[in-house]
Amino acid sequence: MSYTPNESGEQDKRDTALTAALHELDATPDELREWAPVVRRLDEWSGHALTAVDEGRLLAALAPYVPAPSPVRQAIRARMAQRSGQLGWLIETARTQVSLFGLDFWLVSALITLVGVVVALSNALPDQGLILRASGPLLAYLGTVVAFRGREAGTLELELACLPSPLQLAIARLVIVLGYDIGLGAALSLALWAGGARDVLALLLSWLMPLLLVAGLALLLSLRLPIQAAASLAYGGWLAFLAIGVTPLFPALPLTPLSELLLGAVGLALLAVALLRLHTSMWRLLPIA
Amino acid sequence: MERLGDEQLLAAVLAGEMAALTLLVKRYQRPLTGYLERLLGGDWPLAQDLTQETFLRVLRQRDCRGQRPFKPWLYAIATNLARDHFKSAASRRVAPLDPLLAENLVAEEAGPEEQALAQERGQTIMAALDTLSEEYRATLLLRFSSDLSLHEIADTLDIPLGTVKSRLTVGLRRLRAALSSAEERDARYEREGSR
Repeated sequence: MSYTPNESGEQDKRDTALTAALHELDATPDELREWAPVVRRLDEWSGHALTAVDEGRLLAALAPYVPAPSPVRQAIRARMAQRSGQLGWLIETARTQVSLFGLDFWLVSALITLVGVVVALSNALPDQGLILRASGPLLAYLGTVVAFRGREAGTLELELACLPSPLQLAIARLVIVLGYDIGLGAALSLALWAGGARDVLALLLSWLMPLLLVAGLALLLSLRLPIQAAASLAYGGWLAFLAIGVTPLFPALPLTPLSELLLGAVGLALLAVALLRLHTSMWRLLPIA
Repeated sequence: MERLGDEQLLAAVLAGEMAALTLLVKRYQRPLTGYLERLLGGDWPLAQDLTQETFLRVLRQRDCRGQRPFKPWLYAIATNLARDHFKSAASRRVAPLDPLLAENLVAEEAGPEEQALAQERGQTIMAALDTLSEEYRATLLLRFSSDLSLHEIADTLDIPLGTVKSRLTVGLRRLRAALSSAEERDARYEREGSR
C-alpha cells in the first residue's frame, strides 16, 4: 500500500496487504471480490512527487520553531566539537570513569599485589610463581566485578542514554583496570628485582598473563551470566586449574613462560571477542520489563 | 538516529536536535502530503501548505499529544486542518476536478499512453471519492492509501474501532457504486461519441 507503485514483487506484496486489509473488515467472499479492484484503484492512484527542494523548503519553514538546545546539550556538543581524535576521546571517557572505582578498589588491588610480592620473595612456597599466578587473576576478578557492576544495578539504560556508547564505556573501564594492573605489575617487578628475585620477567608473566586470561573469560561469560557469577566462574576455574596442576595426580601441567604467554594471548583474544559481542548482544543485557 | 522511533525522534526535536527533525520530515512529509492531496481532491499546493502547518502544530502544540502515539496524532492534526478548510465558507470545495490538476497527478516517467490512462483513472477515482462525505473519504484514504492500521485510524479520528470498520465498509460500498456509475457514464459517452 505504498504511495508510488514500483516493482512487480512489491505489487504482489501490496495486493496481499490489501486483501488482508479487506479480511480485517470481515468481508464476505462476494464483497472481497467487489472491493478488491476498488482498493487497488485507491492504492494505484499516484500523486505528485516531492523533491529535495520541497523537503528543504519545509525544513527551512520549521527550523525557527525548533526549540533551542538546553545548556547541558550545548555543552556536550561544544565538548564533542573540541575533542581531539579517537584516542583523546577515549582518554577523556576513561578519565570520567575513574570515579566509578572507589578508593577501596585501588587499595585492595595494591594490597593483593603487595601480598603476592612478599610471599614470592619469602620463598615460603617451592614455586615462587604460584602465588603470583593466583593473585594476579584476583585483580582481574575484582576489576570485572567493580567495573561492570552497573549491569547488576540496572543502570545499563542510563549508560545507553549517555553520550559515549556502551562499547566505549567498556573499553574505557578496561583501560582503567588493565592500566592500573599493569602499573601494579611494573611496581611488582621492581619490588621483585629489588628483593633479589631471579627470573623477574618470568615471575611478571606468571602474574600478568593469567590476569589477562581471567579478565577476558570473565567479560565473555558476563554476556550470558550475572557479572558476579561470571567473574567467580572465571577466577574459580583458574584456581581449580592451578590446584589440579600442583597435585601429584596431574604433574603434566607445567606452566612455562611460553605457555603463559599463550594464555595471555588467549585472554586478549577473549577480551576482544567479549567487546565485540557486548556491542552486538546489547539487547541481552537490557533489563527485562 | 535512523533507528529511533517516531516518539523518540520527536523528543529529540523538542530538545533542539535539527537532525531528528530532518528524519521526521523524511519519514512523514511524503505520505502526509499524499494523504492530504487525496483528501483535498488533488489540490497539491494546498496539501503542501497544510503539511507545513501540520508540522508547525506538532512543534507548537507538543504538550497536546499526551500519551497518543506520534503517527495518529500527526494524521489527526492534518485531518483536522483539512476539515477546517472544508468548513471555511471562503474555500468551500468545488466538486469537479480541475483537469490541469489531474494531469499533474500522473507520474512523469510514464509514456504518453500510460499517462493518458493514468490521468483518466486518477480523475475517475478522485471524482468517485468526491461523492463521499469527508469522514468516509478520510477513513478510506487513511487505511488504503496511507496504510494506517485500524487502531491508528481510531486514534487519528478519535472514534471507536467499530466505527472505523463500519465507515470502511460503507465507504467501500459507496465508492464502488460511484466508480461503477462513473464507468457506465464514460462508456455511454464513448458509445454516443462513436455514433
